[in-house]
Amino acid sequence: MRIDQIVLGTAVCLLLATTPGDGRGQTAGIKTGMPSPKRHSPTAKADPAGDATGLIEVKQSDLLQKPTKDNWVSYNGDYTGRRYSALTQITPANVSHLVVKWVFHTQEAGPLEMTPVVVAGVMFITAGNDAYALDAETGKQIWHHARAVTEGLIDDASSHHNRGVAILGTRIYMETDNAHLLCLDARSGNLIWDVPYATGNRNYGATSAPLIVKDKVLVGTSGGDDGVRGFLAAFDVQTGKEMWRFWTIPGPGEFGNDSWPGDAYMHGGGTTWMPGTYDPELNTVYWGTGNPSPDYDGSVRPGDDLYTSCLVALDPDTGKLKWYFQFTPHNMYDYDSVQTPVLVNANFHGRPRKLIVTAQRNGFLYILDRTNGKYLYSRKFISNLNWAKGMDEHGRPISAGLTPDEKGVLVCPSQDGATNWYSPSYNEATHMFYFRSLEACNIYTAKTTPFEEGRTYYSTGLRRPLGEIGKGYIDAFSLDKLDFAWRDRLIGPTFAWAGVMSTATGLVAFGDDAQNFVIVDGRTGAPLWHISLGQAIRASPMSYAVRGKQYFAVATGSGDLFSFALP
Amino acid sequence: MTHLKGGRWANLWVSAGLFLLAGMSMMAQEQGRGDAQGAGEFAINCANCHGSDGQGAKAPSLTAPNIVALSNAELIRVVHDGVSGGMPSFAQLGDANIVSVVRYLRTLQGQGDMVGPAAATGDVAAGRALYFGKAQCSSCHMIQGKGGFIASDLTAYGRSHAANAIAKAIVTPDNPVAPDARVVEVRTKTGKKLTGVVRNEDNFDMVLQTEDGRFHFLAQSDLIDVHRTDHSLMPQDYGRRLTPAELNNIASFLIVAGQTTPAEPLPPGRRHGGGR
Repeated sequence: MRIDQIVLGTAVCLLLATTPGDGRGQTAGIKTGMPSPKRHSPTAKADPAGDATGLIEVKQSDLLQKPTKDNWVSYNGDYTGRRYSALTQITPANVSHLVVKWVFHTQEAGPLEMTPVVVAGVMFITAGNDAYALDAETGKQIWHHARAVTEGLIDDASSHHNRGVAILGTRIYMETDNAHLLCLDARSGNLIWDVPYATGNRNYGATSAPLIVKDKVLVGTSGGDDGVRGFLAAFDVQTGKEMWRFWTIPGPGEFGNDSWPGDAYMHGGGTTWMPGTYDPELNTVYWGTGNPSPDYDGSVRPGDDLYTSCLVALDPDTGKLKWYFQFTPHNMYDYDSVQTPVLVNANFHGRPRKLIVTAQRNGFLYILDRTNGKYLYSRKFISNLNWAKGMDEHGRPISAGLTPDEKGVLVCPSQDGATNWYSPSYNEATHMFYFRSLEACNIYTAKTTPFEEGRTYYSTGLRRPLGEIGKGYIDAFSLDKLDFAWRDRLIGPTFAWAGVMSTATGLVAFGDDAQNFVIVDGRTGAPLWHISLGQAIRASPMSYAVRGKQYFAVATGSGDLFSFALP
Repeated sequence: MTHLKGGRWANLWVSAGLFLLAGMSMMAQEQGRGDAQGAGEFAINCANCHGSDGQGAKAPSLTAPNIVALSNAELIRVVHDGVSGGMPSFAQLGDANIVSVVRYLRTLQGQGDMVGPAAATGDVAAGRALYFGKAQCSSCHMIQGKGGFIASDLTAYGRSHAANAIAKAIVTPDNPVAPDARVVEVRTKTGKKLTGVVRNEDNFDMVLQTEDGRFHFLAQSDLIDVHRTDHSLMPQDYGRRLTPAELNNIASFLIVAGQTTPAEPLPPGRRHGGGR
């Protein structure tokens, strides 16, 4: 994957206060001698203990809520992966009045790639192996579970990226850089259990956020560029006992093993380093898998290299494969397929369908039927794409035969992908699918190299074409028109690795390539508000509400978390 | 590589990296040197950054729970090796002085009677039964992932506390009350009364956690009375409810739990729990 290359509570009926103003954030005028800017409104905190705020007791029904509203209960908000909020307080008309409400600085202070989870006014975040609970209205720390980052890891895991927590009941769950699943008491931050779940190859790590499905918590690993064997594993939410494990690389005697001579399957990659999505009605989880390993040397893994660069549809009760769809067979360009598989119910060619919409690192946007994995549609979304000549009727790309060698071959899109792990968003109001894209190419080289524990397993490398500078974009694809509605160039010095989210009022929020947090009109792409955060943004934003006030929050590249709201 | 003068220590100080277990034995055996040596070394070498009382200044508090939870051996190692990117090595003090400093630090942490790996002389199984049963410790204190949330996690507690100190802490829990455990009673403008533990507070806001686990997000301007008691939520009557043998059993359970549970890798200088 090499993501770092260039650089509900029980009562989670959170009562909406009748007046959006609140009593917080006002100075204690008497004690400090400072004047209070305004007196608190009579409804604000009139009954500080009387609403559901502050009580962490997340039920299955809270996790099943869609779309997400006051609470944001998982990495992508809800099980569909839409990263869409039904909150409507902030609109195109008033968004220009947004202000920073608070900033929280994590002690880890590395680049944050996580999305906060908010329940009942409490925000849960991670930084490295640390977890924090914050007052979501003030950003003040309630507790901090400190755990040292792991020394001696390699590649992505050695950057200690972490994408956040999952929550159920009174517990939160997180992965550590060395692939332990931690269960913490959400009320105290205390450790309930700690399960190491990836052993036998020290190149395993973990960077994702777990996903809770019913009574199980699902986790994957990193290490797909480092010769690990990918898997998705499910653990009992109460005990931490392993319930099933789906290996993304078939073992001897299994279907698909013919790409993996000898013990190559033990080092085939196909890791599961981003959260998947879940359709409760179809009782199916959808999970993207990473590139095959070694990355650029396809000679040691002939054939399609199943199930790398795939979407796998699994039974969440058993881990059994229902179907798979492979986006990039025999991938030699590091095109992981871990981009969020967004579940959309929409008309397609005039018929209501259960769809998956996903923009892939290989440069194509796909629409699949999520009941059976059938290919319905694809569309190239970048100009610079030369690795495939097109798509056949089943959605299998027609290879252009570009094979990395010792001299090097120019391939577009680049290893960083036409898009990547940063989140897309599907918006119910505009029927548009929003995502970030990158126009760039790389010169790929390959050389057969043996696998060795403790070392990466790219089997050589890549370089940029002389003088080329990648160009970042935000794209809006209309599901009604099956066409792009708009595409905005992001001008700035650094491609930001920042995802998008959208809201019921048609707002689309994201970090741009110039350290700005930006909100645009989702219908047109017209910018409505922006603020420079003074640091690159490498995470996807979310939105939440406490006591009737809507907030946007986004984590940043220097270890901060910003929260914005109307004054 | 560090070497001790006395031959009887030589086998303990095998290498700079592996001398740690020695510390505990040394602390037991070197008790005769008293705290004066350690206090002097602490004042010269440590107080400038950690404060003369160890409560923290430029460098973190040494009386924070995560530091208290470190074993003697771990503390000796930190003093000897320093902390990457932070505290320098104090290997130059010599091993005997390092042990003295750590022993003095234990007195600053209120662990003064702890001079070696605590002995568990009671019935551990009976102590466990008391902890989760009659004594009701687990309704507030988590240990090894089981138990409540309102009071501190005791998983590592027995690693740095002797049996008699544990028994004393159970019988006289608030001597003095730990800042993070202090019961605070507040009354709001609307007449609502809340009693709980403060998880965060500044001039503007307070987060109060009540025993049901709920966090109450309060504006100071909404509070007309804040009463900070001198006690924690811990019952005051364990001296009557539990016999000395039962107290010793609970202490033994805590000691064995602390010594047998693998510690989470804690970053030096980090707080563990608590909001302020």
